[in-house]
Order: sequence, then C-alpha cells, then structure tokens
Amino acid sequence: MDGEGQRAAASWENGTLAPVDRLRSERADSPTPGLVEGTEPGAGQKSAMFVHAQSFEDLTAEAEEEARRETELDKSGECADDLKALEEQHSNDVSSEARTKEEDVSSEAWRSHRKHVFVLSEAGKPIYTRYGTEEALSSTMGVMMALVSFVEAEKNIIRSIHADGCKVVFLTKSPLVLVGVSRTCQSDKELLRELQYIYYQIVSLLTLTQLNHIFQHKQNYDLRRLLAGSEYLTDNLLHRLDRDPGLLLSAVTCLPLPSSSRDVVSSSLQAAKSKSLVFSILLAGDRLVTLVRKKDQFLHHIDLHLVFNLVGSSSSFREGEGWTPICLPKFNTAGFFHAHISYLEPASELCLILVSTDREDFFNMSDCKKRFLERLSKRTAYTALKEALKCPSYSVAQVGIPELRHFLYKSKSSGLYTSPEFPEVYQSDEEQERLMGLYQDLHSCLHHPTRPLRSFYRCSESENLLAWVTSGFELYLCFSPLGTKALAVSAVTKLLKWIRKEEDRLFILSPLTY
Amino acid sequence: MLMISPRMASGMQEKQYTPSLLNFFVYNPTFGPREGEEEKKILFYHPSDVEKNEKIRNVGLCEAIVQFTRTFCPTKPAKSLHTQKNRQFFFEPEDSFWIVMVVRNPMIEKPNKDGKPPTVEYQEEEILDTVYGAVVRQCYSMYKLFNGTFGRAMEAGGVELLIQKLEKFFYRYLQTLHLQSCDLLDVFGGISFFPLDKMTYLKIQSFVNRVEESLSLIKYTAFLYNDQLIWSGLEQDDMKILYKYLTTSLFPRHSEPELAGRDSPLRPEVAGNLLHYGRFLTGPSNLKDPEAKFRFPKIFVSTEDGYEELHLIVYKAMSAAACFMISASVELTREFCEQLDGLVGPQLTLLASDICEQFTINRRISGPEKEPQFKFIYFNHMNLAEKSTIHMRKTASVCLTSVHPDLMKILGDINCDFARVDEDEEIIVKAMTDYWVVGKKSDQRELYVILNQKNANLIEVNEEVKRLCATQFNNIFFLD
Repeated sequence: MDGEGQRAAASWENGTLAPVDRLRSERADSPTPGLVEGTEPGAGQKSAMFVHAQSFEDLTAEAEEEARRETELDKSGECADDLKALEEQHSNDVSSEARTKEEDVSSEAWRSHRKHVFVLSEAGKPIYTRYGTEEALSSTMGVMMALVSFVEAEKNIIRSIHADGCKVVFLTKSPLVLVGVSRTCQSDKELLRELQYIYYQIVSLLTLTQLNHIFQHKQNYDLRRLLAGSEYLTDNLLHRLDRDPGLLLSAVTCLPLPSSSRDVVSSSLQAAKSKSLVFSILLAGDRLVTLVRKKDQFLHHIDLHLVFNLVGSSSSFREGEGWTPICLPKFNTAGFFHAHISYLEPASELCLILVSTDREDFFNMSDCKKRFLERLSKRTAYTALKEALKCPSYSVAQVGIPELRHFLYKSKSSGLYTSPEFPEVYQSDEEQERLMGLYQDLHSCLHHPTRPLRSFYRCSESENLLAWVTSGFELYLCFSPLGTKALAVSAVTKLLKWIRKEEDRLFILSPLTY
Repeated sequence: MLMISPRMASGMQEKQYTPSLLNFFVYNPTFGPREGEEEKKILFYHPSDVEKNEKIRNVGLCEAIVQFTRTFCPTKPAKSLHTQKNRQFFFEPEDSFWIVMVVRNPMIEKPNKDGKPPTVEYQEEEILDTVYGAVVRQCYSMYKLFNGTFGRAMEAGGVELLIQKLEKFFYRYLQTLHLQSCDLLDVFGGISFFPLDKMTYLKIQSFVNRVEESLSLIKYTAFLYNDQLIWSGLEQDDMKILYKYLTTSLFPRHSEPELAGRDSPLRPEVAGNLLHYGRFLTGPSNLKDPEAKFRFPKIFVSTEDGYEELHLIVYKAMSAAACFMISASVELTREFCEQLDGLVGPQLTLLASDICEQFTINRRISGPEKEPQFKFIYFNHMNLAEKSTIHMRKTASVCLTSVHPDLMKILGDINCDFARVDEDEEIIVKAMTDYWVVGKKSDQRELYVILNQKNANLIEVNEEVKRLCATQFNNIFFLD
C-alpha cells in the first residue's frame, strides 16, 4: 500500500511539470484494479478543482478550522444589509413554491412522511420543520431540546433513537440543533450527512459568525425572523438529498461535451477575470460545464452543491442579473461572498455564477460576464455547447453491457462523477428514490467508519447490485435480477474501459485557474 | 474486562476496554405516577448502590425517550438509544413493564504526558443493536422460565413479591452475562441438533416412550447428546430457552467432574453403583445420602391457555442427558427418584455408548477432517436449527470464536440487512483484510460463510460457496 502511495505521489509531481499531452499519453489504456489515485478514468490532468474529498467523512470535520484560513473577505458587519438583499431576492419565489405546511401535526398523514427534518435553537425554539408549521411543533421541539440537554448534563452526547421502522437522529451544531426522523432504511451516518447539509445551508444564508452573534446576544431569538422566505431552499435541498447522487458521492457531474469545446469555454471564462473574482462557474441545469478558480483557492463540493441548490431553487435569476450574498461554509464560515448569477440567454439552461469577494463588485462582474459572452460567442465552441445541451445525459445502452441498468462512477481525485439517465424500470419518482436508497445503502456499507469494505455484491429479487471502491475510484452498478456474478465481474472491466474512452467528454480533465 | 492492546504509543500503553454492563433496570411507569413517588416505579436496579436520584433520573430519561418516540410511531416502541458513551436497550415484555439494559461502548484510553488525565475515545460503531436487543429479550425469557411472568408474581404477592423475585434472579443472572462475547448466535438463539442415523434415532424415541409409560408422572421429556438436542416434547420457544440454560449454565457447571480423574476429589461418589453412570444434575447429588433433598428447580412453560409450572429433572449418563418435566403440583419423593434412577440409569448409559459408537463410525466414513478454507454459521428459523463452525466452544463463561471480531460484526451487519426485507437475498462482501464474507437468505434459512481466499474473485467465491452448500446442505435450495 505504502509503495503504491509513494509512486502515486511521485507521478503526481511529474504531472504538474510535464506538459499535459505527454501525461495523457502516459495513462494506461485499460484500467486495472491496482489503479492509483490520480490516474483513474476522469482524473484531472493538472490539479483538482475541488478540495480533495475522499468521502462524506469530510463532512464531520469541524468547521472551526476553516475560520483560520486567510481570506480577504468581508467580515460579518454587513450581514444584516446583505440578508435583506437576499430576502428581497427570494421574496419573489416564495409564493410560487407550494409548501405543504398547513398540516395537522397529530395526523397519521403527518407522521407517515418518509423523512422529517427539524431545526431548533439551543433554547428549544423552532427554526425549521419540513412538514407542518413550526408553531404547531414547538412543544415537540421543546422535548427534543430537553432530551439533548438531559444527556449533555451527564457529559454525554445523544446520537439517535431506534424503533422498528423508524429512527431519530440528533446533530448538535452549536448554536443549532438538527433532528431527522426517518422511516427509510438509511444508516445513521447517511442521515447525519443530510443534517450536516441542512446546517451548512443555513450557515450559507447567515454565516456562522452572525449566527453565533445572534444567539450570544439573545439566546431566545426567533431565527425564523431572519430566515423567513428562505425555507424553500432547505425544502429543495432535502429533495435533492433524496435524488441527487452527487450529494451522496461528494462529487459533481459534468455536461458531456467534447474536450476541445470545453477547453475553449474554460479559456474564455479564464480570460474574463477581475481582481476580486474567486470562482467562475458555468452550469447547465445541475451539470457543471466548467469551473475556473483563483490559483490556490479551492471550492469544496458541499459549497458547490449549495450554489447549485440556490440557483436551481429560484426562478428569479432568469429575470436578469442577480447579485446575492452567499457564505460558502466549507471555505469560510465567517464571511460572505457575493455571487453574480445570470443565464447566458433568456431561455437557456446555461447559468453563469461569478463569485466575488467584494460586495460593491456588481458592475465589474456584469462586465466579466459580458466579456466572457462576447469572446465565447465568436467561437464555434459555443454552438457545440448549445448542441450538447440537447442531450445533457446518455443512456446506459451506449455502454453496451447487457443486463446493466444503471451505474455511478466517481473519480476520487477530480471529485467528479458520471452516471447515465435512469432507465425505463426506474421512471417513477418512487422507483428512482428507491434506487438512490439502494446506492446509499451500498455507500454506507463500503464507507463504514470502523468496518469499511472493498466490495459489496447484493443479489435480490428486484435487482443485483455491485459496489467497488479502490484508491482511485468508486463504482456502483445496478443489474437486472437476471445478471449473473460472472457478468458483473466482466461488466466492471468493460465499463471502466468505456469510461476511459469517453473521459474527454464526461469529465473536466484540464481545469483552469486565473 | 480489560485487554491490553498490542499498540504502543511512544512507550506508553493504550488500554482497550470491551463493552460492559453499566446499568440494568426494570420499571413500571404506572406504579409511581405522581411527582415525588418516582422511586416506586423502579422494581429492580443494577448496580444497587447507585444513588436514588440518579436511578430516578435514568428511568426518567427512558420514559421520556419512549414517550417522545410515540410522537412519530405510536405503535412501535423505542428499542434503543445511542449516545456517545453508551447504548441503552428498551424492552416492554409485559404491558407497562420495561426492562432497560445500558451497555458502555468499547473505549480506548490513551495516556497523556505531563500527568494529564488520559484521553478516552469511545468506539461508537462496535455494538450491534440486534445482538444486544436479543440479549435483553433473553434475560426476560430466562426470568420467565424460572419465575413465570411479572404479572404472575404481581397476582401472587403484589409488588413486594415481584421486587423480591427480580432481585433474587437478576442478582445472579447478570453476573453470567458476558457482553463482550455476544454475537450473531445470540440473535438467532438457535438450537444445535445432533446429527443421527435413523436406527439410533428410533432407539432414543422408544427409550423416551418406555420411560414416559413407566413413570406416568412425566409430562415432557427432552433428550440431548454432547450438548446437542435430539428429541424434545416441549414447545419450540420453551425448548429454545431451556436449551440455552442447559448448554450455557447447567452442563458447563457439571462437566468438570467427568473430566477429572477417577481419584480426583472433584469426582462425585459413585456409591458403589457399577451398573450405570447415570446421575442427577438437578436435585439430589447422591441418592444414598440419607440427608439428600429431593427438591428440583421449577420452570414455567406455555400451554394453550397460559402456562404451567413443572419440576425440572436433568439426568445425565456420560454424554447423554435426559430432561424429565413433572407437574409442580406433585411432590417428588425419594422413592420416585430411586425408581427413575433404577430405570433410566442403565438404559441411558447403554444409549450413550451406542450413540458414541455410531458417531465415531460416521465420522470415519466422512473421511479425515482437513482444515477447510471456510467457516460458516447456519440458522433455520422454522426449527431453530443452528450450526456454527466459527464457534469453537460455548460455555457459561466464554464463547470462543475462531475469526476476527470485525468479521463477526460484518456477519451481524449482513444479518441486519436481511432482516429488513422479507425476500430471498444474497450478499457477498470483501473486507479490507481481503477476507470474503457471504450471506445467503432463502425461505426461512440463513447461511453465513467466511472464506479465507484472499486472491479469489467474485466468481470463484461463488463456486466455493456452491460446493459448500452441496456438501453440507445438499437438500436446501439457495437463491443463486
């Protein structure tokens, strides 16, 4: 193992010195199980775009450390103004988002929701509930807080309660307490990961500094006053958590695009730089087209998913150029960035996000966008990009493996994953969520905190599943129940070959910096 | 229990602690509903020297957890609470009576320099809920086997009697719990059956019939050889817990004299009886002793409309043991015991040597045993049959397994997986240590195999398990 690691490190160093093309020719044609990190299909050529995230364990790392990171960011003094701006931004959307709030919290229907999420303050004040109203649930949340503090008084920490077919998971993230109640088969770890996301979602609206400040000042503060109108972001994030493999894998997926075109888009974006610009992100729906970042600044996948969630949750950005404060909690929990969010063309899926450190930078950012668009529209790559939007995903049939229904492949070093569209048998929402549930199961078995596994094969009446983790990649395959073990074994080799062949299109191999 | 880990941190030793019993209590929230009366709810509390307010606090937390969980699932009660330091298991065996067991998570104590107190790291993922949930249920079943239900004690003598019975039973029983060695077998709570040819089986059956005919007081009989069951007239659930008692408590306590040499002081007086090797494991240790008492433990087994109380006579000759159960309303006399000894002793001795001979022949036919590449656990939910080649020896004090504890926990994880869905499934995993673990569930049967073939692939592992199924379980269909 150690030897392998050393070799990987050595080739990595060479990689940064050698020209890109040479490195590419050096890559193995067919991937083998002994594949080292950084050479797996989909691995970035120069350096990773994201903070290296091996798996969700990252999430449990305390955020405090990030506060030390030196940044030239605004401090929290201006938070209140920024928040107001954010609320205005969102106020348009509230009415359009149908919330199933008015629900009797003592009814069977309320109880039988698959997953409840509650957020409360350490004083036991309700902040958020996924179903029902906070008012109606204030006594329930009071009990939750009482349980947390009772166990805390014994110098202990409450983790979870288990009943048949139902579990309650607690996450204390001072000054907030998050509680998840689930009827799914998800492991405690998976549920905790989801609560962590919700926590970061709230921090991204307020910053942790501001949050701490509020509660230090007034322990009994009703945080809903500040968060009013933003609940739909949390609602949406919860919906994504049930369905988006990227949140599970701690990775993002890309719009399939020939690398020649992608490189042009990237370099156009790179050219449109500005002093306080930190990240330029081009999205096509939920898919990344390209990301250009300031040298030495990395974007954590959680932060990126929060940006995705913000953009995907509101239609207001379609109406013009948006300018919104956003805290990227994995980058810095103390301050706000300011994001310029706009669509390239009115009806287009292409959304450009320019993240700046300067809150007065709107016009600069607007200018960056203009320059990027001017440059890009002169190139044929723009046509190719628009063409690619027409088929943002691919069918599993292209891989040509019989009985293979669906798969997830994540390249660990680049933090990118690829996955085909859901096949015929998983068309309904329930079926898709069920499949995601199966993947989550596999994921938590493989990443068990004390008994991790190399591979996991499950054969059941509805499908056969195979999961495999190496130092370079994670792979999850779903076969029809007719698929045999022999087929599964040969499918892995075949699929990895296919991904290697297509990696130029499916992944961002040469990310750029300003 | 303390184990010194082989890891050494800069000359200082880390101490590793296995899971241990922190608290065990029984309460009924309806017994002290008013404030200030909380202590009345508590019927039993271990350890007993805990301060009163702490007892009340801990019971209060359990009540709160149970109540809170009802908000979300009114019909299914809370079963466990996980905290950083421990896990609590809740079980409501009878209406409003709750049994709670608190188990401390395993932990590692790391010494600090400069005289600072050591850092304690709790290992929160080591305890399996299914295993310890089963242990709590077993505690109740064992209490019920010897005392009947909590309700029965309440009817007979009110709360005082119940408290007395709980105290008497659990004080000793809890000392026999060995929480660090509980595993998947506790979840199954199965019975190991002795494999036997038809002829010998018929001999045993006719022996049981003859004895029951001659001694008409006998209501039920069970027959065991080598700690494995051959014949039982009891209901499955009663036999399951009686089997547990016999094999983990009674037999191990009596095995030493037989292993001891002829002149050893451990060896009981054979009292000049050269006709047979039979002796009572319960009741009188020596029939010839004029002071001998003819008292037998009483057990409670279920009947169609409730339960019945029975004397439990366990009589053993060499490796064969017969349990005879007689209604508790009958008083057992010296005459009856002598009659039983005279009738059963010689026949059982003969049967024991017959079975032993048969067993050796069978083993010779199946060829010399070589160390197989695999180890397995099999369990059948229908007849509770259990077989393990992982556990080398299961006694009152230790349960030795021949595989790494982490692998046992992976088996437990797979078992949890199977329990969630009521359909046939197969799971094959490769652990980080490169061991392969296979779990198969088919119909009501479960099979777990650990393979030590590090370089095998999925297909080869599958072939290996197929071969195992063909040789060991040739009549059982498993989903392929």
